[in-house]
Amino acid sequence: MRNSQPESPVTSISERLSGADPQTSITELFESMRPDLLRFAHWLARDRSLAEDIVQESLLRAWRSRDTLKDRGAARAWLLTIVRREHARLYERKRLELVSLDDALESQVPAKAADPEGDLFTLRHAIMRLPIEYREPLLLQVLGGFSTEEIARELALSSTAVLTRLFRARNKLRAFCGMSPAPDVSTSEAAP
Amino acid sequence: MSCEHSRLQIGADPEGRSAELEQHLQECEPCRQFRAETRTLDAHIRRALERPPESATPRFTASWRPWALAASVLLAMLTVLAVWLLRPSDTLAREVVAHVQQEPESWLAQQHVDAQSIDTALRGAGVKLDITSDRISYAQSCWFRDHYVPHLVVQTAEGPVTVIILRSQHVSGRRTFHEAGMSGVIVPAPQGSIAVVTRGANLTAAAAQMQQDVHWLAGAH
Repeated sequence: MRNSQPESPVTSISERLSGADPQTSITELFESMRPDLLRFAHWLARDRSLAEDIVQESLLRAWRSRDTLKDRGAARAWLLTIVRREHARLYERKRLELVSLDDALESQVPAKAADPEGDLFTLRHAIMRLPIEYREPLLLQVLGGFSTEEIARELALSSTAVLTRLFRARNKLRAFCGMSPAPDVSTSEAAP
Repeated sequence: MSCEHSRLQIGADPEGRSAELEQHLQECEPCRQFRAETRTLDAHIRRALERPPESATPRFTASWRPWALAASVLLAMLTVLAVWLLRPSDTLAREVVAHVQQEPESWLAQQHVDAQSIDTALRGAGVKLDITSDRISYAQSCWFRDHYVPHLVVQTAEGPVTVIILRSQHVSGRRTFHEAGMSGVIVPAPQGSIAVVTRGANLTAAAAQMQQDVHWLAGAH
């Protein structure tokens, strides 16, 4: 199943390249995407300074491997993939510290009342609190525009497992938004 | 297609369209409603993700600082209080503890010492004991504050008890102390004082027993 391509909040590379100087250097191309990469990393890591480290390291890796990028139009997906893998590496190294963020997140709840976009704040908070196994595919889909199959390949999961995780991610968010969650599905999450 | 499968597909990709799904939706009002709700939710999710999340600094957010400061002050006060409560009552007590620490093997002795060793330890102290030698596992005459003093370890039901008989050290009253994992008391005696140190045994009972068992000999010094 191929996901449709809704308007992504991340500016697409084709938009960036349209009208751009074809001689735009690869460095400029990478740098132009830094804000989007940073936002993606920030939602993954839930910490600004950690996200900056991830993006910096990712761009460094991308620069070292720049020769493998044959199609500039695929740069966005390629860079997001590098960021995700860098986060996964860091997550494995800093699992305990990242888990401890949940306590800090709890302390932010009272700020909701002062936020003019209270419902949106609640949703942002809910996304932040999603376990990484649900948050990661959701971000890849919504921010990255990846299809289910692409996410499955990236996460080394079966397509069914990805479908289940995406379903459960949204189901948890439904509950946060006051909607009645759908009955959970019982599917295998075996790797392909 | 079942409703469960339909909702799985919708929940996984609200914008997804397949012939099978569309056919099911034509016939299933609840699933149509579910898709409408999920699409609304997805629009909110996209809006929510438009800007980076509020960064959460682990543990030390601003709201934690006053509590962290209060906890630090409280901890400091408790530390001072503990040091004050557990301090050796005076220099004599501190020296007793230091002396016991210098002879750690005294706590480890298990076999009782012979009567002759006890006599040697007590020589010149001007005391005699009502304790049978089978209860004494350590007996030495130790140099302490310019005098040789008996240093004994008496086995009790609750463990070993160190007894140092201080003929030349007079104290005005009972002094308890706690240091280095040891509890001790220095009790006044007719010709000086007795220091009793334990690591868990009943200190009060042991001190009272020693006050009874140590007999001071008149005219000795």
